Amino acid sequence: MLIRNLKRDRTYFLLLAPVLLYYVLFKYVPMFGIIVSFKDYNLFAGVWKSDWVGLKYYKMFFQNPDAYDIIKNTFVLGIYKVVFGFPAPIILALLLNELRWKAYKRFVQTVSYLPHFLSAVVASGIIIMLLSPSTGWINHVIQSFGFEPINFLQQASWFRTVYISSEIWQEIGWGSIIYLAALTAIDPQLYEAARIDGANRWKQTLHVTLPGIAPAIVILFILQIGKILEFGFDKVYLLSNPATYGTSDIIATYVYRMGIIQGNFSYATAIDLFMGLIGLVFVYSANQVSRRLGETSLW
Amino acid sequence: MKKKTTGRSAAGVLVASALTAAMLAGCSGNNNNNAGASSSAPASPSASASSSAGGSASASASPSAALPEPGKISIFTEYSTAWPPQADWGVWKWVKEETNITVEQKTATTTTPSEALALAVSSGDMADVMSVFPADVQKFGSQGAFLDLSKHMDKMPNVKAYLDSHPVIKMRVTQPDGKILNIINDGAGAGNQLVWFYREDIFDKNGLTPPKTWDELYTTSKKLKELYPDSYPLVFRHGLGTLQIFAPSFGILPEYQKDPATGKMTYGPLNPNYKTMVEYLNKFYKEGLFPPDWLSMDYKAWTQFMATNKSFISVQYIGQIETMNNQLTEGRLKFMAPPLGAGDKAYLPQGGYEDYGFSIASNTKNLDAALRYLDYIYSEKGRDIQSWGKEGETYTVVDGKRKLNDVYKESNDLRRISGILSAGTYGWFDFEAPLSLIKESEREAYVESPKYQFPVASTMPILSKEETDSITTQIDAVYKYYSTSISKFIMGETPLTEWDNFLKELDKYGLQKVLQTYQVALDRQNASK
Repeated sequence: MLIRNLKRDRTYFLLLAPVLLYYVLFKYVPMFGIIVSFKDYNLFAGVWKSDWVGLKYYKMFFQNPDAYDIIKNTFVLGIYKVVFGFPAPIILALLLNELRWKAYKRFVQTVSYLPHFLSAVVASGIIIMLLSPSTGWINHVIQSFGFEPINFLQQASWFRTVYISSEIWQEIGWGSIIYLAALTAIDPQLYEAARIDGANRWKQTLHVTLPGIAPAIVILFILQIGKILEFGFDKVYLLSNPATYGTSDIIATYVYRMGIIQGNFSYATAIDLFMGLIGLVFVYSANQVSRRLGETSLW
Repeated sequence: MKKKTTGRSAAGVLVASALTAAMLAGCSGNNNNNAGASSSAPASPSASASSSAGGSASASASPSAALPEPGKISIFTEYSTAWPPQADWGVWKWVKEETNITVEQKTATTTTPSEALALAVSSGDMADVMSVFPADVQKFGSQGAFLDLSKHMDKMPNVKAYLDSHPVIKMRVTQPDGKILNIINDGAGAGNQLVWFYREDIFDKNGLTPPKTWDELYTTSKKLKELYPDSYPLVFRHGLGTLQIFAPSFGILPEYQKDPATGKMTYGPLNPNYKTMVEYLNKFYKEGLFPPDWLSMDYKAWTQFMATNKSFISVQYIGQIETMNNQLTEGRLKFMAPPLGAGDKAYLPQGGYEDYGFSIASNTKNLDAALRYLDYIYSEKGRDIQSWGKEGETYTVVDGKRKLNDVYKESNDLRRISGILSAGTYGWFDFEAPLSLIKESEREAYVESPKYQFPVASTMPILSKEETDSITTQIDAVYKYYSTSISKFIMGETPLTEWDNFLKELDKYGLQKVLQTYQVALDRQNASK
């Protein structure tokens, strides 16, 4: 049966092969490295020759007085990213959808997705330059209104705002593309019917457009939840400094410092695995919830 | 198809075996040559015979000195925007001429070399020879990243002689188990000196004198701020790292150190003078006497402040006085004695020693060439050439004294144009070369700064692997807590009344354990002396 299927659909399977290979090679094979977190891993002795140490590194993490802060920072930043970052592209897509002047729409779209292509280093450079309290343009504007300049990058309380807004700035245009695609799939007859029923633009958006892209929103939301603890590590790292460690030190930066910089691979792996498990819990629960509430879900 | 493949692989085997044979011949030739190198005899005939087959590379060199077997190594070094690495730098050409080794320079992708090195080691993509700091050796040496050089000293007679004649350096590189995983550079340390300097013309114009104490530094800065409201009179660019130069004027070092009085390991903030320093900095910050973005300033921003008459007092590497003076359209920077903050004498951090040095990757495929390279740069001849270049090419001898060509106007030009004095290109440096470029008018700093040397260096005793492992989380936690707290004290986010609380918290993060561990290492080091 299976063989017959394989034979019949060989072209499709062949097309699928590179993707499968990619996942096996880059997502599943590295999982083997998890073993390192239970060993006193020595880079040059290799995985097999390193000694087993059990849960030593997991205990080490939880005995660290910073552990609580680091976990908290990661979660808060992750939740902010979902709460503020997730709706932004939807709003932009809806707004773009209302634009009737095609050339202008294309222009806005292009401009808004360009920052996506900036590397973290360049983006951080721009942000640091703009926000500087002595030479930054944004602070010049603030001062011209008669306010005191704000030291955005050296106050822990500003870090999350700066990070999340810069994320939105970078990703809003790119994220809206998928919603715009979903929007084109909505049957124009629905709008016509709505108009005949006397719905204005706002009502049409509310009762036709939004339900039309709801499945896309839900799926993307679940995927987003899975990545709640996954950050563009480089930007957090580049934007932080000792004054903001209180809110900017997250799992990823901690793992980088301990694992790569200090060369403590086992320890870093242990922390990362732990966070991965939490991520899994998140996706699973989000999926459950969405299954209960509606018919859209990942599985 | 199948037949073709076999044919090709057979050819491959042939080529490979031919290469192996050539390499073997080369190695034996090498050994002969190395044995004779210490007596500076020309290379043995066998070596030159086998190298003649190697190609025409040796043809350009002087015909009298036969060259050893050609070799090729990669060297990992820092990347500096002020002297971006060039493949055609003189330093690499001279290495080729003298040793027949072709050097491929690989540079750090980040501006912090230690971080880049960590990435290289973690990914297993190490260069044959690597520029390393002692802390890097501590981290990765115990994992087997670097070659134990003590086992190869017979092939590096010059390195051995260098270490024997520099006992302090030998102590700094000898691991608790006797291994030598790195060598440290020497000779160019004078350029690492951090000093204070000020704008002489601005001071003169306004009838100000260079401040002798931190109190005077404060009143002077205050006056300058009144005169130039747009300015930030004091400027520095190493963020919290700048405390390294402030602290000695308060009689301390910022973090871990050997207490000059007791000889025991201690931690800077535990000393009451540290609090005094932070109080001053807090006062300066509050009144806008240094730029508010002091934590995120880089070299470019610093240059801007200095060049646009926005700052008048600064702390920086000694060479920057001249570099900036050459850029200033008006005005002049002048060395300033460190102002006294607390204690009985104001000091500058010790600047005479160097931290950077070399390790060889344990998995190098070019071991002989790598060893040969190190031996060359630590030889008398290598020292001379890598510091001065070659006669006729970079300098001429006038009245028995060497004079560098006119293209070199300041010491930075040596780096920029020829790579001289840049990381990875020298082992043992002759500082007379850059010194000869310094104008009479700019020599003051070099003469004056040694008078203010802090009695202890910030070098740390070497830990064993077990010791390092036992405190690695604590070191990170203490550092993070320390740097966050100090930044906040300086910016007034935490009131200074919280100081005692801060000291108490440090213990919670494991400070005592770290200090004890270092104490054990220090005692061991003292015992072995």
